[in-house]
Amino acid sequence: MTGPARFIRIWLASLAVLAAAVAGINLLVDPYDVFGTPRIPGISLLKPAAKNHAMLAKTYQIARAHPVTVLIGSSSTHIGIDADDPAWPPDMRPVYNYGIPGGYATSASLRTLQEAIALGGVKYAFVFLDFQNFFVPERPAASPTEDERRFHLLPGGAANPDRAGQAAADRFLSLATMGAFVDSVATVLGQRNPALLNLAPDGSSNEADFSNAARTDGLYDLFAQKDAFELERAEALAHAMAGWSGPLHNLDIVARMIDLARAHGVKLTLVITPHHADALDLYWRIGLWPRVEQLKTELAGVAASRDPGVTVWDFMDYSPFSTEPVPRPGDRQTAAGWFWEPTHFRKQLGHIMIEEIVAAQATRFGAILTPDTVAARNRMVRAQRQAAVCGGGVVLLTALAKPIDDGCAAAAAVRVGGGT
Amino acid sequence: MLFNSYPFLFGFLPIVLAGFYALGARNREWALLWLTAASLLFYAWWRPVNVLLIAPSILINYGLARAMERTGQDKPGHTKIILIAGIIFNLCFLGYFKYLNFLGGALNDAFGTGFVLTQLVLPLGISFITFQKIAFLVDIQAGRVSRFTLRDYGLFVLFFPQLIAGPIVHYREMMPQFRAASCRFDATDAAVGLTLFSIGLAKKLILADPLSRLVAPLYGHAAAGVPQSLTEAWIAALGFTLQIYFDFSGYTDMALGLARFFGIKLPMNFNSPLKATSIIDFWLRWHISLTRFLTAYIYNPMTLALSRRRMALGKPVFGGRNTNLSAFLVMLAMPTLLTMLISGVWHGAGYTFILWGLLHGVLLCVNHAWRLIRPRFWPDTKRYNRRMAPIGFLLTFLSVVFAMVLFRAPTVSAAVMVWKGMIGSYGAALPQAVFARLGVVAEGLTALGIHPAWTSGTLLVEATLRIGVLLLIALLMPNTLEMLAPYEPALGVKPAKDPAWLRRRLSWAPSGAWAVGVACIALAGILSLGELSEFLYWQF
Repeated sequence: MTGPARFIRIWLASLAVLAAAVAGINLLVDPYDVFGTPRIPGISLLKPAAKNHAMLAKTYQIARAHPVTVLIGSSSTHIGIDADDPAWPPDMRPVYNYGIPGGYATSASLRTLQEAIALGGVKYAFVFLDFQNFFVPERPAASPTEDERRFHLLPGGAANPDRAGQAAADRFLSLATMGAFVDSVATVLGQRNPALLNLAPDGSSNEADFSNAARTDGLYDLFAQKDAFELERAEALAHAMAGWSGPLHNLDIVARMIDLARAHGVKLTLVITPHHADALDLYWRIGLWPRVEQLKTELAGVAASRDPGVTVWDFMDYSPFSTEPVPRPGDRQTAAGWFWEPTHFRKQLGHIMIEEIVAAQATRFGAILTPDTVAARNRMVRAQRQAAVCGGGVVLLTALAKPIDDGCAAAAAVRVGGGT
Repeated sequence: MLFNSYPFLFGFLPIVLAGFYALGARNREWALLWLTAASLLFYAWWRPVNVLLIAPSILINYGLARAMERTGQDKPGHTKIILIAGIIFNLCFLGYFKYLNFLGGALNDAFGTGFVLTQLVLPLGISFITFQKIAFLVDIQAGRVSRFTLRDYGLFVLFFPQLIAGPIVHYREMMPQFRAASCRFDATDAAVGLTLFSIGLAKKLILADPLSRLVAPLYGHAAAGVPQSLTEAWIAALGFTLQIYFDFSGYTDMALGLARFFGIKLPMNFNSPLKATSIIDFWLRWHISLTRFLTAYIYNPMTLALSRRRMALGKPVFGGRNTNLSAFLVMLAMPTLLTMLISGVWHGAGYTFILWGLLHGVLLCVNHAWRLIRPRFWPDTKRYNRRMAPIGFLLTFLSVVFAMVLFRAPTVSAAVMVWKGMIGSYGAALPQAVFARLGVVAEGLTALGIHPAWTSGTLLVEATLRIGVLLLIALLMPNTLEMLAPYEPALGVKPAKDPAWLRRRLSWAPSGAWAVGVACIALAGILSLGELSEFLYWQF
């Protein structure tokens, strides 16, 4: 056989053998938990790569988890609420955390809730809402995204005809892509790292992303960086809401969640997620706080009118938890208390939230919102802010991102002028 | 259909090759017909309507060529009229689809006219195909093409490895090869083709595409009016330069490899342009077939006509010691600027492309002027080249990177924002996470005016590493033409007489070790197909 002919034969054989080896490794390690290959200690127990493919990983995980309780939300839910928290009562277990990092849209929450319910067996659903999502209307995409093609149902409730094709593509791409192979190798090499990020089979994360960053950069840097990002976001939202006089956006999506849950006999709880006072005060100073109060009022109204059985929890306040001081610059020793940064709370705070929600009683922070209680709640949070921020007791980094008047002097002037 | 797609790699290509070799074993004419039909399918795959647009244009050009052939000997004047009609037809065809909206928009902007801009379906590769058809007509008029049939002409225009994004080929260099092709499986051609295609696929998917995800947000910010710091602006400029470099280099390798499967050698189109030591040198290495076309069909005829006119008027012409400023301006600067303006417009209907072409025209004029002036005070050319080559390289590299910003920026104002960032107009910043790890160096940076910012340190490190590694590959590694030189990977490529050490070490041979190595490269490319992306040059 001549040189070139031999070259082609070896080329073809090498390609086939190497391709089979890559597919085998990807199947064994299963870096995105698509196949549900048993996790092997030292090889694939921890799944760090699944975080960047959360919708892919979680949509296949939840189909295997058969949860009774499902947690819907964004990255704060993914990181801060533990599906295996001891506070969950036995009749609510197993719990699955279907929080999607980066999934800011309320409509995405509706779709994941629909998917969870379509799989059957779900009795309780907790939907964690980020207040920023209600200041800009969400428009449906012109064509279904890759993530949406993966769901069992279309938005209207009919069977999704694209699902089988997408499932085949997901499995093929999880076996035969460079990204999957690189992630498989990184998964195996990272197993000895005690601080490796993991996506547990119940959808929860081990917070390693934040704990690693806090250890290497310090919490001050995490807070300051997020404040800068959140300031841009707040300014864009304020611009979008300027002159808007109607009800807030996307509450119709929440109404559809309520209808969906009621139609399937699922007990739904809506939760406004906690934020650190650093973030809250950005929105206050930029003039969006009346909109935040409007959201709480309208959300309570929508829930009460659609289904009185739906509970609305509000954990967004100036409590001792959210006003905890941020460590000083360069301090890499102080451990995080209740928050990793302004918009992501720790599992410790998530535990308190679960305890209160399960007991249906606000003992340490937060409150249940109803149309009758929401006005008082809004007044109380204003009073909390007055005491925490204007009282001088709490130091916020908010001003670092951009010096904006905190309004305290003006409020004091009004009080003096009014003889109070 | 994209070369870097599953349907092409695992459907179209194996079927076309199997059919070509099977038919070629019986009748080579059937094999060539099969190849033409497959090329038509390849063209139609994306938008079938493309065929309805391009087929009449091919037939009209063929008819004009036949008419020129018939009238050629008896009535040369008529031939010229048909040629001019053909050129006008082709330019109008191109202009209608590619430039009508731009012209309408420009007139609306400038004079407040009310031209209604419509969404036209731009036939794929229309710029490449148009130039190829014009070159064919010109070659007939010049007597460089004598005999041809509709099947020959169809195959010449439609041959799928070069159909969408070049190289721009000449009939006279392709047809003799098709006529001589055995249309049977040839192991050497297949081995060379596999190697070229595998390396090209990996260049495109592993080296070029990840840069797109890095630079796209930066140009998006510039378009939105968000200022870029010094580091961000340089990442945007260098990142895109390397993205388009490896994208086009990868595409060219794939085109060369695919053609080689059919026993055809395409002309050289890309020869390590970032190693150029002058802008003139750059254009002899970057998109070589376009430079060849523009020189042969636009620049040379223009300078020839100008020379005749000046000689008739008794004015000095360009060249030698007698060159004066007016000869330089009229006979070199003007044709160069016009040719590069056309090059810019050819690349895209937009102000940024026009300015990109003109900027390169100006750089070429400066380069030519320097070549005229330099011997007067530095006559030792050998010594000059030895001493000044590194400086020439640096100036050329920076000029190319600077100009590439125009090629990528969506608007001129966005390009200006990136340029201002590159010269530090918006300050210099490093991510806080990076700054905090620099220790005492951070103090020095602060003294230089570089401050920490709340941007992503991970992204900066990734960008720096990627750009650094890709620069090393582009500047130090031998290219595929050099590695496969003994096997003539492109028309006319010959091995160097005294290759450098690295080039010798990386010289390709059909050995077992190379087969395993190329299989690894191919697999890396195939595994990266999951995220489809278009070739940057396909839009032209």
